[in-house]
Amino acid sequence: MSERLSPRAALVGGLLLWFAVLGGVSAWAVHALAAWSIDELACEAGHDNLAGFPLTGAIALAVLLPAAGAAAALAASVLAWRRVRPNHGDGDERSTGRAHLLAFVGLWLNTLALAMIALGGVAALVLPPCQR
Amino acid sequence: MSSSTAAERGTGPDPAAMAALDSHWAAAPTLRNWFATVDHKRIGRRYLVTAALFFGFAGASALAMRTQLAGPEAGVLSAREYNQLFTMHGTAMIFLFSTPMLFGFGNFLVPLMIGTRDMAFPRLNAFGYWVFLFAGLFMWASVPAGAAPNGGWFAYVPLTDERHTPGLHLDVYTLGLLFLGISTTAGAINFIVTALKLRAPGMSLNRVPIFVWAIVATAFMVLFALPVLNLDNALLFLDRRFDTRFFEPERGGNVLLWQHLFWIFGHPDVYIIVMPALGIVSAVLPVFCRRGIVGYPLVVFSIVAIAIISFGVWVHHMFATGLPQLSYGFFSAASTVITIPSGLQIFAWLATMLFGRIVLSVPFLFVVGFLVTFVIGGFTGVMFALTAFDQQTTDTYFVVAHFHYVLFGGAVFPILAGIYYWLPKITGRMFDARLGRWAFWLVFLGMNLTFFPMHVSGLLGMPRRVYTYSGGLGWDALNVLATVGAYVLAVGLLLVAIGVVHALRRGDPAPDDPWGGDSLEWATSSPPKPYNFAVIPRVRSLHPVWDPATAESTGPGADEDRILAEGRRTLFTSEFDGRPERAVEMPEETLKPLVAAVGLLVLFLGLLFAWYWIAAGSGALVAGTLATWLWPPHRAPEEAGMTT
Ligand code: HEM
Repeated sequence: MSERLSPRAALVGGLLLWFAVLGGVSAWAVHALAAWSIDELACEAGHDNLAGFPLTGAIALAVLLPAAGAAAALAASVLAWRRVRPNHGDGDERSTGRAHLLAFVGLWLNTLALAMIALGGVAALVLPPCQR
Repeated sequence: MSSSTAAERGTGPDPAAMAALDSHWAAAPTLRNWFATVDHKRIGRRYLVTAALFFGFAGASALAMRTQLAGPEAGVLSAREYNQLFTMHGTAMIFLFSTPMLFGFGNFLVPLMIGTRDMAFPRLNAFGYWVFLFAGLFMWASVPAGAAPNGGWFAYVPLTDERHTPGLHLDVYTLGLLFLGISTTAGAINFIVTALKLRAPGMSLNRVPIFVWAIVATAFMVLFALPVLNLDNALLFLDRRFDTRFFEPERGGNVLLWQHLFWIFGHPDVYIIVMPALGIVSAVLPVFCRRGIVGYPLVVFSIVAIAIISFGVWVHHMFATGLPQLSYGFFSAASTVITIPSGLQIFAWLATMLFGRIVLSVPFLFVVGFLVTFVIGGFTGVMFALTAFDQQTTDTYFVVAHFHYVLFGGAVFPILAGIYYWLPKITGRMFDARLGRWAFWLVFLGMNLTFFPMHVSGLLGMPRRVYTYSGGLGWDALNVLATVGAYVLAVGLLLVAIGVVHALRRGDPAPDDPWGGDSLEWATSSPPKPYNFAVIPRVRSLHPVWDPATAESTGPGADEDRILAEGRRTLFTSEFDGRPERAVEMPEETLKPLVAAVGLLVLFLGLLFAWYWIAAGSGALVAGTLATWLWPPHRAPEEAGMTT
């Protein structure tokens, strides 16, 4: 795979791989922090909007944008996982074995991240934002 | 099971190189060197022994509490004593036993498992141990003084502020944990750098033993979680001592801030405790099923997933605090999803057992004990993810039962399995298997007899943290059972200790690989030489000891750059692929870590007793020691490891 890559291609490939591994969970972290703090702080202050924007809409954005990010990371990890084959035999000089493992880990991390964001979205659909 | 020796596998360069290695790595057995050692194996052993000692103190506190609770209205302990004992028991089990014990295994094993000669920062490692020892003594010394922490292991404000809990109790807690945090943080940094830079050539990420993955994930969790706890404790100390108002709502503070900060640390901490223990299970179980672990990539995924998601579930400890329901919803989602990676590991172990040929040896028995108890604890944990159930059972004995199943099951059983599994490697002696089996059955029965009835007393409404209760509420018989169980458990644990001492005194010499293990610690002598490996192996698979090509790499004809006999040296490799980079010089014995740790002890004592000038003076001593420690030595570039 990576034997004859230019440094630029190797850098882009490396960054894409890391996006494929950690993109989903980063998106989930953004979702959890944004959705929770919007809900908590606005309700605490007795508001039902955020700078004129309805609270439900703001929470929906905090669900949908991260969900899109996690979906993109999932697609990247599926691609990486399918393109990089694990090496068999003496793979000392090649990185494909570990790249395959990382892509596999990313694939499942992204799936879980997407599931958590989706479940948060379901909660936002069924529960009024400030009900205690 | 098959066993082998290094000689059979053809290990060993020529005698001159061996003699050179010995002269550079072995320390003369002097008193100074006892205090000055930086050898990860000695430090690892000290962590294990010291953590076991603190476990003994915490266990004795538990026995005293169970004796008090054996019957209604008993007078063994007063309410004040009970408060201090349950707080110190919980705090010590979490902070002074579980994590340091598992860090002890990590210290001893990580360099051996990755095929290197020491931790990346050996002096920092020694410093971490001394700080741990002093912080533990600092906290335990408060018990006989009657000034032990008494606000529960999570020390909620406003109960723990100066108005409601005057005296030194909570200052011991906040300062003790801040002091200890220095050790844990230093250890975590050391594990990460060691595992990323010192792996044997060829050990790419997909060939790293699960135990090492678990330790590194734990170390990352420590680095992200612990600063939050440190901040929390620092704020509480400031509130109590200098009348700041971080947690006082009447003066613009916020009481829930303590809980948020505590549980942002506290929930990942559950995994910080359990994760390395699960790593022990993944090391021990496959060996006694005579095959590699099923689903290695899935187990790695599970470790990484737990390490990350555990930071997003903390509010489930606060389901009774009156936050908006939707906020609970976000955390409920993560709390439910995190069961998937946890469950995956259980299925990987079950599949390994299913497809393997089981050998029912003592370490394996403890692994089975772990599986049974941990699954029960996990099951009641999922029940708490339902907010409605949680609100009914919070602060009852149901919670006490749940977390003991998780923590005893998830930490103590694997630790006991690890002790029996690696004892031959650590001591060079075999243990008495019959004694081990007795110990297992007593621990297993005692543990279940102690904690199972607590589920029922909790459902019947018995609150936790009560020093006594009235008779006739339906709790009496359940409490008697729990107390009898605690004594049975104590006898079982005593047998474990007797077994270890017996092995040390009378045990048969252990072969290098008594169990037929697959990871690199079994490729060296029992106990290992000070330099661990005469030749740093070249790893060619996930199971290097089962793989003839890796074994051959340590035989005659090994390249000079993996013997490195000219000095106290080991090999740096690349982070992801384990490609050789350069040889590095490792530090020798030094007293500086001990001096710095003593300085810190005096500093924290100064803060505790409000002797601020003494605290400032010892702060200067610590800074001076660190400066001489870090001052670059005058060495030729080759010596300093600048060139290979
Ligand atoms: C060795 C056998 C053990 C026994 C007999 C035991 C017994 C007890 C008892 C009686 C309590 C007080 C319950 C209450 O009044 O609410 C308690 C609390 C606790 N135990 Fe254990 N325990 C044992 C092992 C452990 C272990 C191994 C851990 C953790 C690794 C642990 C962690 C805790 C914690 C965190 C608390 C809560 C303290 C608090 O409420 O602040 N225990 N245990």
